[in-house]
Amino acid sequence: MILHYKCPGCGSDMSFDAASGTISCNSCGRQENIENYPEQLVTALFEEDEVKEYHCNNCGADILTDAHTAATSCSFCGAGVVLADRLSGNLAPVKVIPFKLSREEATKAFQKWCKKGRLTPKGFMNADRIKSITGLYVPFWLYDLNSRVQVNAVGTKVRTYTSGDYIYTETSYFDAFRDINLDYIKVPVDASEKMNDQLMDKLEPYEYGELKEFKTPYLAGYIAEKYNYTEGELLPRAKHKINSYIDSYISQTLGGYRTVTYKDKQIDTRSVKSDYVLLPVWMMSYDFEQKEHIFAMNGQTGKIIGKPPISKRKAFMWFSGVAGGTFFAMKCFSFIVGGGFW
Amino acid sequence: MKKRNYLYLLAILLFFLPIGMSVQAETVDSPIYDYAGLLTTDEVAQLKLQSSKLSEESETAFIIITADGTDGKDIVQYVQEFYDNHASEFEQFHGNAAILAIDMMERDIYLAGFKKAEDYLTDSRLDVIRNEITPDLSEGRYFAAFSGFINQAVHYMETEETAVIPPAEEQQNESGQTGSSEYENESAYEQTSETKNLFFEWWFQLIVSVALGGAVVGTMMLGSGGKVTVSSQTYNNQKTSAVLDKYDRFVRKTVTKQKKPSSNNKSSGGGGFTSGGHSHSGSRGKF
Repeated sequence: MILHYKCPGCGSDMSFDAASGTISCNSCGRQENIENYPEQLVTALFEEDEVKEYHCNNCGADILTDAHTAATSCSFCGAGVVLADRLSGNLAPVKVIPFKLSREEATKAFQKWCKKGRLTPKGFMNADRIKSITGLYVPFWLYDLNSRVQVNAVGTKVRTYTSGDYIYTETSYFDAFRDINLDYIKVPVDASEKMNDQLMDKLEPYEYGELKEFKTPYLAGYIAEKYNYTEGELLPRAKHKINSYIDSYISQTLGGYRTVTYKDKQIDTRSVKSDYVLLPVWMMSYDFEQKEHIFAMNGQTGKIIGKPPISKRKAFMWFSGVAGGTFFAMKCFSFIVGGGFW
Repeated sequence: MKKRNYLYLLAILLFFLPIGMSVQAETVDSPIYDYAGLLTTDEVAQLKLQSSKLSEESETAFIIITADGTDGKDIVQYVQEFYDNHASEFEQFHGNAAILAIDMMERDIYLAGFKKAEDYLTDSRLDVIRNEITPDLSEGRYFAAFSGFINQAVHYMETEETAVIPPAEEQQNESGQTGSSEYENESAYEQTSETKNLFFEWWFQLIVSVALGGAVVGTMMLGSGGKVTVSSQTYNNQKTSAVLDKYDRFVRKTVTKQKKPSSNNKSSGGGGFTSGGHSHSGSRGKF
């Protein structure tokens, strides 16, 4: 089943408008509030692995998608379509953060960012070769995790004092125990096979205050993916993400000791709740010197991730500037304090 | 009878007065106060000869005091009182005096410079001299140490304070402490070509510069891809996260002791004022 949004007023294609947060008509500008939009997806049931051919409701052409696409545009007429059966039943997202930055704003912010890099080649800074900019809803699991931690450790406290001709070092050993309850809420883990995990981790954090009940019109005009990994499959990665947080919390509770040696550390992390959500990402592809560079932008906060090319000339100039300046400053200093210039 | 006795006594006193004066005058020229008896008569004579000759050239008295206990006084106080009590003896040198005092009981050494010697023998210069002669004192070569003190003091009395240049013969002195002590001398003004700080070596400066340049460019390269901006606080629900139970039980205690590092090479305090109101430079230590 294909969902296609037609303007009730003029019959044109409608798509999601990031600025107003409504679904709006591209030609007459009519805006419809999404939160009041009727939604029949949750009740509609489809077979998950059913092989289907999609035809555009607008022009009747075949819609070419890969197996994980949940929303796309018709490659023939350009109308934004939502593949409803890939978003229903088990695959129905609970919540979504709609795009906050429009395509134009994202492009402008990206161009500005390109100019900021201190080692970026000059040609790249013009940002005139942005090949494509794609609005993408990436599937995430948001885990609410509860960790119960029990730690046994030997802590030492050291005191030094002087008496007579001797310096005494007094080391006291303590048997320390901590029973800690830790709750981490809405830890995001990206569930799409295609997205680079490290890239996605750097896009965080998202402002969860803007999480909305999922409605299909939010996807109109963007590309959306359905998840490739289930919540069970990604739980280890979620646990791994909070491991370092737990460790730092534990060592914080043992902060009064000079040294801490762990004898026994039991961390039992359980998933309390996991929500399937779609989070907005602008993907930018930029051709520079026959190479394609990929950048990702948090569609809500505008944070940009990705490695711009590095200009060897600029890197060398920075290096020689800093090194030469330091050398000269040290020479001057040694001259001033009487160590001689050479 | 009584009157005559008094006159008689007076006559004897008058008779002895010039002798006493001449004895006193002699001690001015050869101010070696070897109370601890560390030197042979021959050595005392040699030191006296050496110091009286140099004293005249530099208009400064070079005084050596060896004590076996200072009646519970601190060595600095001991030297100050000594100077106040003997001030009249230094008058022919206008009060200019360089004093070396050692106390065999506490194994303290203190060097002080008064008047003109205070200007020329600064605290840091006295530190250098003290570090030079301490090894000799430690090993009981008192004569060599005292003679070295007079030589070096004279040398510095003739040199304006721009740089500490050890006298030629001292450069050959292979005392292990000389090298290390020079690095402890924090004042860069006192650096000599021999005792150059690592910081002033061109290759060291080059390494630091290259390392800093590399670090700056490296940080820029690493930072260009974007950073992780979530912390351990981002997803933590602080309302429900807490330590539920804890205990810290004392198990045992170990104590280790270590002898205080010897203050041989440390300059401590330097100069001060005598109760007679004379200011002076100084350097103290142990041997």
